Amino acid sequence: MNSTSETSEKPIPKLILFVTGNAPRSRRARRNLDSALQSCGLESIEPLEIDLLQSPEHTVTYSVFATPALLRNDGQSLEVLYGDLSNERKLSDFLDSLQVD
Amino acid sequence: MTEEKWKLKKRSTGISGLDQLTHGGLPSSQASLIVGHTGAGKTVLTLQILANAISEGYGGVFVSFEESPNQVRRNVDSFRWGQALNQSKAWFTIDARLPVGAEGVGTFDIDALLAGIQARVDQLDQPWIVIDGIDQLLQHQPDHTLALDQIRQINEHCEEYGWTLLLSGKAESDSVSPRHLQGVEYMLSTTLMLTTTTIDRRLHRYLRVAKYRGSGHEPDQVPLVIDDDGIQLPYEIVDQNAPASASKERVSCGNERLDKLLDGGPYRGSSTLISGRPGTAKSTLSASFAEAAAKRGERVLYVSFDEVEAPFVRNLTSVGVKLQPHIDAHRVRFHALSAHTKLIAEHVFFLQQQIREFEPQLLIIDPVSALLKADGGESARSAVARILDHARSLGVTTILTALTADGDIEDESTSSDVSTIADTWIVLDYNVRGGERNRSLSIVKSRGTAHSNQERELVLSSSGIDLADVYEYGTDVLMGTARLQKEMVERAQARSLRLEHQNRLHELERRLEQARNESERLSNELRLESALFDESKQVHRDYTDSIRAQRDPASQGKEGDQGE
Repeated sequence: MNSTSETSEKPIPKLILFVTGNAPRSRRARRNLDSALQSCGLESIEPLEIDLLQSPEHTVTYSVFATPALLRNDGQSLEVLYGDLSNERKLSDFLDSLQVD
Repeated sequence: MTEEKWKLKKRSTGISGLDQLTHGGLPSSQASLIVGHTGAGKTVLTLQILANAISEGYGGVFVSFEESPNQVRRNVDSFRWGQALNQSKAWFTIDARLPVGAEGVGTFDIDALLAGIQARVDQLDQPWIVIDGIDQLLQHQPDHTLALDQIRQINEHCEEYGWTLLLSGKAESDSVSPRHLQGVEYMLSTTLMLTTTTIDRRLHRYLRVAKYRGSGHEPDQVPLVIDDDGIQLPYEIVDQNAPASASKERVSCGNERLDKLLDGGPYRGSSTLISGRPGTAKSTLSASFAEAAAKRGERVLYVSFDEVEAPFVRNLTSVGVKLQPHIDAHRVRFHALSAHTKLIAEHVFFLQQQIREFEPQLLIIDPVSALLKADGGESARSAVARILDHARSLGVTTILTALTADGDIEDESTSSDVSTIADTWIVLDYNVRGGERNRSLSIVKSRGTAHSNQERELVLSSSGIDLADVYEYGTDVLMGTARLQKEMVERAQARSLRLEHQNRLHELERRLEQARNESERLSNELRLESALFDESKQVHRDYTDSIRAQRDPASQGKEGDQGE
């Protein structure tokens, strides 16, 4: 998973996982996301990870104040899931609209 | 931990009423909870505190979970302080609303929120921070205990980084907890509760300091008013421990006889209630007070709930009270109000505002009983007491009129109870006898004054108000025609006595003159008698000598020789 401090001027990746350091919920979210991507056959999608403790300006840029949060860009709209992504069904539904390039 | 660290420090909110209730402001380096009903003024309160802080040179961060930054700025712009706040670069708004369609999947942290705020705080000088509508975020926390822990986390962050933070949330019914955050009040040291209620289809707002751990505060619920200046708390507390200054100066009523009855007039800074039925000249007497004050060069604030300025001033000229020149000279400020247009608290606030702006020496509220008609959850008595406290604290003399119903001219005491608060109570009434109705005046009480308790006739004429002489008839005081008849009789009697006296004087003078003439006549007679007596004595002596000479001529020679 990439870790960066991207600005909003660059194209928004398909998936961004916002975390706050190595907090337990952030760790769980990473694990849950990896598992879900695999089970959905989306291993090729590598989410961008933004640590908001390192880049707090992105809280405002992406309007993300609850972490972990997963932002999905399906080309049509931006959707957000927040929480530790522990609900597999909801996470799976959320990833469904992503297409592998 | 050093003393500096743990000791409670407060920051002024810039809202004088709130600073009074909290004995100096809200805690510094801590989070304070502001809980309120929808529309109670939570957001306005926080924005106003930010505006006040920024006007003092501090910074501000406003985190909104409910409104967009544009909505917040539009909200700000509707107040007088809004333009300055919107133009200031010393504050930031953060749009923290959850994206539309955002969905919660498990528990979450709020570290990102704190980090985002910290990034802004670092650019500002001792900012106030507002998190508006925190319940909008934390209601999605699946674990209620975790949500409470996160409130605690925010507060601990405040202590660690010196943030002074206001946390607002919506209340459910009368609970001091925001929705979905039951028990949060135990986490924070200070809770302000803003409530609303509808009485007679009008919205009433209230504020209460529900909790202030480690600090004295006023726990009473007080009315809250929102106007162009934002949040106002009209029922500001007058410091009862402030050194009292009891003026010994008397203030003339504008009528010499009434002044005399009151030992020179009411004391400056005191309150006088004039009560009476309709048409008993309460307003005229009040206006007479106003004219007298204006003639002394004092400023008079005349608030009328019954009269419109122009006709009232015109009508007063027919009874010799001329206010227009003083209104033109800005010594008298007249406000015609309608009791129904404002809540009691709004009326109180308006009066306090006018007193602050105009700085009158005399305040007249005519009639104060109109406040009974104004909507409000609080009592008219409480409102009047606060107005009088406010006026007294500033040394403003107050005249209040009160309308009483037929039957019991003192029923005012059972309605607004102003009579128990006022220092002087003048009762005006009608006296119906012999087919006519005459106005009367009596002084029920006047603290610190040896006043007359006798009812007197109040006479209105083109030359003004006057009190007639007292004519007692048995246990009554004669008024009107009966008084005039009595006056005529007394004048006739006085004339008769005067004439009788003059006649007696004339008679005595005549008799004295007569006596003087008799005295003169008798004196003359006495003088004549004496002269006749002396003359007859001489004649007799001469005769005796001639006889002696005839009888003894020698003796004449001897006597002559001897004589030689």
